[in-house]
Amino acid sequence: MPDYNKPLPVIEKWNEPYWQAAKRHEFVAQQCTACGYIHLPPGPACTNCLSPDQDWVQLSGKGTIYSYGIYHQQWHPGFADDIPYNVALIDLDEGLQIMSQVVECENDALGCGLPVEVTFDDVTPEITLPKFRLVGTKQA
Amino acid sequence: MGLQELCDTVCIVGVGDTKQGAVPDKTGDELAIEAARAALEDCGLKKDDIDGLFVQPSYGRQGDYLKVGLMLGLNPRVGGAVEASGATGCYMIQHAALLLNAGMAQYILLVYGTNQKTNRNRFGGALLEEHAPYGAFNPSGPFAFAFRRHMHLYGTTEEQLATIAINQRAHARLNPKAVQQTPITLDDYMSARYIVEPLRLFDYCYITDGGHAFILTTADRAADLKKPPVYIRGMGRQEAFRAYETPDLVMQSFQQEAVAKMIFDMSGCTPQDMQALYVQDAYSPAVIAALENYGFCPRGESGRWIQDGRIALGGELPLNVNGGQLSETYMVGWQNTCDAVRQLRGECGARQIKDVERRLCTYTGGLREHAGALILRS
Repeated sequence: MPDYNKPLPVIEKWNEPYWQAAKRHEFVAQQCTACGYIHLPPGPACTNCLSPDQDWVQLSGKGTIYSYGIYHQQWHPGFADDIPYNVALIDLDEGLQIMSQVVECENDALGCGLPVEVTFDDVTPEITLPKFRLVGTKQA
Repeated sequence: MGLQELCDTVCIVGVGDTKQGAVPDKTGDELAIEAARAALEDCGLKKDDIDGLFVQPSYGRQGDYLKVGLMLGLNPRVGGAVEASGATGCYMIQHAALLLNAGMAQYILLVYGTNQKTNRNRFGGALLEEHAPYGAFNPSGPFAFAFRRHMHLYGTTEEQLATIAINQRAHARLNPKAVQQTPITLDDYMSARYIVEPLRLFDYCYITDGGHAFILTTADRAADLKKPPVYIRGMGRQEAFRAYETPDLVMQSFQQEAVAKMIFDMSGCTPQDMQALYVQDAYSPAVIAALENYGFCPRGESGRWIQDGRIALGGELPLNVNGGQLSETYMVGWQNTCDAVRQLRGECGARQIKDVERRLCTYTGGLREHAGALILRS
């Protein structure tokens, strides 16, 4: 996919394991070995107890749509053909919230509270973006 | 010393502003200096009376503390750059109030100048770097999410939200300084294009060039100056840097409820004592959030509460009577403080609120990360 022209994640020290896992189609978060707190975005310490001892834990990939917006304005040329596209805040079953997109459905099908599950979009040979789809919809 | 002891100890004694809108022949720093000059004239102080300086940085490397200090020809004893998005002006006023009370300075100047309209700041960046791959550009996203969530939980409608933009445009038409003067109707609002749905064009602030400046001093010194002093009766602030990992914060309730407690405890006032409200309205759902979080109306009811003229000039709680950022000018909240001061002095002509004694100014900024507020009185 040499012509993929959307922004790519900036890989750095703390988030590298997250993106490596995504490439393997695994959805992970940091978990504190001292207090058990699960958190994203990745960082150097637990945001609950500040312990530096962090593991990576598999997430269930299940959650619900907390809320969402439909982007009608083009701020980046890479999204020109996607307009109108959605961006959604997903409440994960593990208690954290992340920003992503809901795919494989029309924007009209979205709703706050609807159940979703993770799916993996291999946007380049190196980068896979975790996205979400409505539970019960057909796979593309 | 508790916060309550600081009640009414510090005053805003000078306000200054420049032409707003498109000012293509001036840099942001130039506009900041022009506003500072106007604020000095407003209170009758000389430049060299100033011994404290705070500067808000702006787009295109404008608003560098040292550089602006150099341009002003000042050697301030205290000050600095403060960067907290739309809460900055409010935070600076609070810094100044504390420093003045501590005796670290006698007269403190706060300035902000920007030419981000002329230089086409499109606010096209992502909120956090990791949001960019998902197309979450522009700071309006969380406000669209917040309003969508409000619609879901409380049945609030887009027609109800429209009242905010329509009301502020009507106010702007009474304000010669306001950049947007064309009246808008509900039909105009509903037929405008979506930007981040459910938000439409009129829910967005209008990017402008311009400058604003304030001068503060202690209440005893304020008595000797040109204009009637405006007292800081209450102040509060709360950061929410963990907003990105915590669900249910898009309506900013955690941070704004904390601020509300501080300002009402410090001032001995209640929301019902307030005779006007200014909200830092980068996007109109910020008004919905502030009305509920500061206790002006019950949680979930703001969509209905703002109808029937309640937030119009002459209504129960005139809101952003200058036109706010949706219609007056986008000065990240500075224009609201400026207007509140002028209202309390009775300088507002056609948009003057009758018999004002107290004002609540709220500023929320930084999307979800910052919240600050002031209660001002004459």
